[in-house]
Amino acid sequence: MLLFGQILVNGILLGGLYGLMGLGMGLVWGVLKIVNLAHGALIMLGGYALYYLYTGAHIDPFLALPVAMILLFALGYVLQMFLLNLIVRSAQLNTLLITFGLDVVFVYMAQLLFSADFRTINPPYAGSNVNFFGVVVPYVQLASFIVAVVLASLLFLALDKTRTGRAIRATAQNLVAARLYGVNPKRIYAITFGTGAALAGAAGGLYGIVSQITPYIGVTLTAKSFVIAILGGLDKPIGVVFGGLILGIAEAMASLYLDPTYTDIISFGLLVVVLVARPAQLVGRA
Amino acid sequence: MNRLWIALPILAVALAVVPWVASDTIVQYGINALLVATLAQGWNVIGGFAGYPSFGNSVFYGLGTYGTAIAMAQLHWSFGSGLVLGAVLGVACALLFGLPILRLRGPYFAIATLGLAAVMSAITATIDIAGKNIGLILPLFRGDTLFYEMSLILLVATTATVAWLARSRFGAGLVAIREDEDAAQVMGINTTMYKVAALVIAAFFSAIAGGIHAYWITFIDPASAFDPSLNVRMVIMTLFGGSGTVLGPVVGAFVLSAVSEVLASKATSVASLFYGFVIVAAVVLMPKGILDVMEGFRTARWRYFTNNLRRFRL
Repeated sequence: MLLFGQILVNGILLGGLYGLMGLGMGLVWGVLKIVNLAHGALIMLGGYALYYLYTGAHIDPFLALPVAMILLFALGYVLQMFLLNLIVRSAQLNTLLITFGLDVVFVYMAQLLFSADFRTINPPYAGSNVNFFGVVVPYVQLASFIVAVVLASLLFLALDKTRTGRAIRATAQNLVAARLYGVNPKRIYAITFGTGAALAGAAGGLYGIVSQITPYIGVTLTAKSFVIAILGGLDKPIGVVFGGLILGIAEAMASLYLDPTYTDIISFGLLVVVLVARPAQLVGRA
Repeated sequence: MNRLWIALPILAVALAVVPWVASDTIVQYGINALLVATLAQGWNVIGGFAGYPSFGNSVFYGLGTYGTAIAMAQLHWSFGSGLVLGAVLGVACALLFGLPILRLRGPYFAIATLGLAAVMSAITATIDIAGKNIGLILPLFRGDTLFYEMSLILLVATTATVAWLARSRFGAGLVAIREDEDAAQVMGINTTMYKVAALVIAAFFSAIAGGIHAYWITFIDPASAFDPSLNVRMVIMTLFGGSGTVLGPVVGAFVLSAVSEVLASKATSVASLFYGFVIVAAVVLMPKGILDVMEGFRTARWRYFTNNLRRFRL
């Protein structure tokens, strides 16, 4: 029973991080109708940004996280403003292909610049943990879970209350009508993609703290983010966090009851099941 | 256009003579270029004609590789039966995987193929008869000329299939699905069956290409057989040449293989980086491929590119 509790806690902590990954994917997908195949690569870049801020500039990783997010926001903003806005209205095939191309560019750029070695962001307090009735909770995992929940709530508030947030939601619902009411869609799209990239960057930084980063982590994370966004639904940021929790717990359970080498196969199986079972309802909404 | 169809057999014959006149290095480069052109042409059927971007065709190639290797190294069958086993595995995977996934549209299919490509080498590494992590060694057979000719025949067969497709009712159905799937369905096209058939055709030729490659290099392991970067190459070559056309993928494969050969002599990651940039540039500047650029540039000059830039911008 204790083991089960531990695994459940591990799953929930991992799930918060997954939720953050899905959030950026879902936001871009829901508003821009772009399924961003470079999302995982943006997560990877966020991880490296935080790694170099910590090892190069010696800033505490949790304090450096906003810096990494700002960097990724700028990257996303520029990408959308000067590249993706050119083709955002064309067939979905083209947006898939161009983000696939961006993914390739980022991965091999990272391989050239940062080498293919495993990197971990390893602050001095990485090993310490707190014990709840025998269930061990590492501080960094707890902190990254809290950061994930806070960022999700902030996004929810920003979309609900701020002027820009309302403009984003209006653009998602009806581009033409939003334009008539004075929304500049180019700018809104760029802000949205930038926000998605910033969330990816935060997720990547936290991923680098609790796990390891290489230039190649992106593809599986893109697929997972996609599944999480579907599980949660595109219109509710809170739902996406729950989608992340479901995947995190499912993966933790799979590693307990099955051979750990099968975790990838399990999450792929889950991917296919989710893809086949859910989309009809979702397409109707989006 | 007619003159082109007379020129093609001549070109094929010219290519067939290459092994007797060119150096070993060129023949070996030729085998790789022909096989990757076959993969690009296979991708063209599902990605170019049906408009369903598969990022997992490397899986079919890998299954062909493993089918042939298992048949020859473990069961001691002949090369021919090995190719058959590889093709059967590839087609079976396309059916099993395609039937549920191709009922879905657009990005769902793309993501599922992406996931399949990412886990397939992990799955193979757990199977005993496939040699687990270590891989398999095939019987040694030296004869670059034979492999070159087989690859050429395969590419010609694939291109002939696509040429038939472009004129057939089936091909027209695939194009209809690409342009407007709802309308295609209303017109009475069984869209799921058409898409699965397209994926099966792609899988069949990709698997045979994998089988030939396996016997040629004689050693395979999960990482090299299911190398996801193959997907990058086939997508980019098709796009560059012109997806949904008969000859575009072949032209794209030949041109880009040559360029990447030069770049890879410096560093392999530079070659891959180049591929990524070409995909991005191709989607924005020349969505119909290099053959269309040659035609459009004659009349519109540089406006050809600015027109493409303007077409879909916000």
